[in-house]
Amino acid sequence: MTGFIRRFGFLILVLGLVLLGPGCGGDASTSSDTSQQLNVGFAEDQYVLEGPDAGLGMYPLNANIFETLTYMTSDYEVKPLLAERWEFRAPDTWRFYLRKDVKFHNGQPLNAEAVKEGLFDRLAKIEGGSTILAGPDSAKVVDEYTIDFTPTAENLRVPEQLVHPSNGVVAPGSDIGEKPVGTGPFRFVEYLPKERIVVERNPDYWGQKSELDRITFRFYPDPNARRLALEAGEIDFAYEVPRQDVESLKGRGLKIETSSVGAYEAMFANIHGEPPHDLLGDVRVRKAVAYGIDREALVERVLDGLATTDQTFVPPSSLEPHASLVKGFSYDPERAEGLLDEAGWEPGPDGIREKDGRRLKLTLVSGFPSAEVHRPIPTFVQSQLKEIGIDVEIVERPDSASYQALIDSGEGDLYLEQGNQNDANPGFLPVLLFYTGGSGASAPYQSLFAPGPEFDRLIAPSLTTVDIEKSRRSVAEAMHYIIDEQAVILPLAGIYSIYGMKDSVEGFEPHPSSLNVRWNAVSLSG
Amino acid sequence: MRAYALRRLALLVPTLLGISLLAFGLANLTPGDPAETYLRRVLDQQPTPAQVAETREELGLNRPFMIQYLDWVGHAVRGDFGVSYSTRRPVVEEIGRRIPFTLELALPAAILALVIAIPVGVISAVYRNRLPDQVVRVCSLAGASVPSFWLALLLIGFFAVKFSLVPVAGRQGPASILLPVFALALTPTAILARFTRSAMLETLGEDYVRTARAKGLPGWLVVGRHALRNSLIPVITAFGTTLGHLLVGAVVIESIFIWPGLGKLAIDAILQRDYPMIQALVLYSGAVFVAINLLIDLSYTLLDPRIRLGDPGEGET
Repeated sequence: MTGFIRRFGFLILVLGLVLLGPGCGGDASTSSDTSQQLNVGFAEDQYVLEGPDAGLGMYPLNANIFETLTYMTSDYEVKPLLAERWEFRAPDTWRFYLRKDVKFHNGQPLNAEAVKEGLFDRLAKIEGGSTILAGPDSAKVVDEYTIDFTPTAENLRVPEQLVHPSNGVVAPGSDIGEKPVGTGPFRFVEYLPKERIVVERNPDYWGQKSELDRITFRFYPDPNARRLALEAGEIDFAYEVPRQDVESLKGRGLKIETSSVGAYEAMFANIHGEPPHDLLGDVRVRKAVAYGIDREALVERVLDGLATTDQTFVPPSSLEPHASLVKGFSYDPERAEGLLDEAGWEPGPDGIREKDGRRLKLTLVSGFPSAEVHRPIPTFVQSQLKEIGIDVEIVERPDSASYQALIDSGEGDLYLEQGNQNDANPGFLPVLLFYTGGSGASAPYQSLFAPGPEFDRLIAPSLTTVDIEKSRRSVAEAMHYIIDEQAVILPLAGIYSIYGMKDSVEGFEPHPSSLNVRWNAVSLSG
Repeated sequence: MRAYALRRLALLVPTLLGISLLAFGLANLTPGDPAETYLRRVLDQQPTPAQVAETREELGLNRPFMIQYLDWVGHAVRGDFGVSYSTRRPVVEEIGRRIPFTLELALPAAILALVIAIPVGVISAVYRNRLPDQVVRVCSLAGASVPSFWLALLLIGFFAVKFSLVPVAGRQGPASILLPVFALALTPTAILARFTRSAMLETLGEDYVRTARAKGLPGWLVVGRHALRNSLIPVITAFGTTLGHLLVGAVVIESIFIWPGLGKLAIDAILQRDYPMIQALVLYSGAVFVAINLLIDLSYTLLDPRIRLGDPGEGET
């Protein structure tokens, strides 16, 4: 025995240290140490820590350290936040009147100088001046609590764009990549890259103070691990619960909250393609595709009932009260076949339609942001369209970069995307992707999908009116044209955000844009 | 032997140059624009062509391929591997921060694999075609076949969720390392066990082993002292490959268990078209494998005194 210990004891000791020693690093706390410590599971850590795009605690995970001048409600309404009110001063300037009782976490007062440096000058250093088109001379201090902002090009949607968390006001002189300092209801505690970011209640917050003492946001790149952490009680709350896990989580006594629609699942038709990708240049074929897809079946059977059949592409809330202008397509395979007959596509021997020796074969490129996000929707679409005599070849792309390459080359007929709306500008996506009269944004998209002058004419007023309701109407009319009349956008479903949490989590308001979730009203019961 | 080692180390430079050129070329051939990918992520929207052009210029992507590569080599020989396109931090700093996390998993997993695989492989060989052998063979086949992500989730579901014995994920205390190490060690254990078994079977059939048995030596002495040592060369060779793979990171395990190691860094770099990071990680991987192969070759002389390295016909007995 002593020989055994002498021979192998050291080895066992070394093995023990090697196996257990490294795990001694890191945080030993798992679930709540105190009654008001919330553990939240988020997705991948994608914080940028250096350069003008640095945004620790800001984007994509909004840890409520920073605040914006305006914020967006879950109905896509714009409300005051750090700015009490604002006005447009023709021809091109926005004036913001700041709240007077606000301090940064380091005690500095929030005033016009701070907003100039911590917001507008910061954004001016980002490529293109960020979405609001900020330039180095765009911001001017009017008085201590009033600041003017003049974009480098006409931009009448500034208040709607400022809601995006990347437009948070940073304390002047602070290092946003190292120790973020803002005005939010929570202040920075610590950050371990790829592991967690921790914030604590700001006791001097100007608004509704949180009942939570601390929030630990843990990064779980794998959604299954995030779900398991919620089931195990290691976290109290999880972002982006996969649809297929909803019932299982409910069965374990966990709560699921869903938001209104904030994202779309849609196909874009290449209407300007060169052969062999020129088949969707015919609007009858595009409408046949639209009529040939049973969206209710898609939502019920493929998306587990956890989506809607909205076909507005832009979140319906952001178009109200004009969302009803967009009708969408019902499931009508007979009508689809009638359109194809009219277009000269006759059923071939295998059921796939042919015309002048050509098969009606479409290439479906899946997708943005990745093919994985869309599965098994492409297969569903493929089987649906086969019923009406359209052969669909699915081409998957693993990430946005390789997907974009197929946009650039135009080697596709249908392009499947999922995207969400993270600011209150209703025309943001349609203008960006389909409007040809702008700054040249998304030129590759426009070269494939731009509907042309009529769409431009309908959507242009949304860019030239300060009145947000007029802007919404303009966008709704443009969406009616591009969806209902031209079938360039073929919406498949309206996607909402799914959040999972313990029963003890109270006061959470599910926001359709996960970037705009606010935590100061959340508490833990029991 | 020293001369042999120095010659092998000298070969490291052209080897790494070749690897880096290949990696640089393949990365550039991959569809997708790093500037656009980066801007899409930070702006949360499709960038304008002007923004893409500005970023491409900032990142030096508008230069010819060979100019970019030679510029990179020029900096790399001075230890400057550039700045990550996605985090904007020095690549060396990012990799340096991640290496300890990878080692935290890789070393225990490698040792665990070796400690289990060798005895199990020996038992399997000694009891050939009997129950222990059959059990080992089935288990090692399963271990080599099971996808690591499935195993990881299964382990979490059982040990962390059902019985709350360990944390689900993340570096949270000593127990948090158990599941990722076990999940990581399973496949190498299975492979090494099979290698050990095969090597032992071959050695146990040798004349000198029969002689040892005929002389009346106890079975454990024949196996443990005579046969095992002479069977270890192929096992150590396989171990070297296994260790190399572990040291460059395990993407799936690191993602599931939130272990911020090199594997996850590599896959993120590929998806984000982060060329400087991809280059540096490829170099690191190449250096790791070259170094391990050298150590393995040197270890042969310890295991088999008949092997002399550095003589004419190197590595020959």
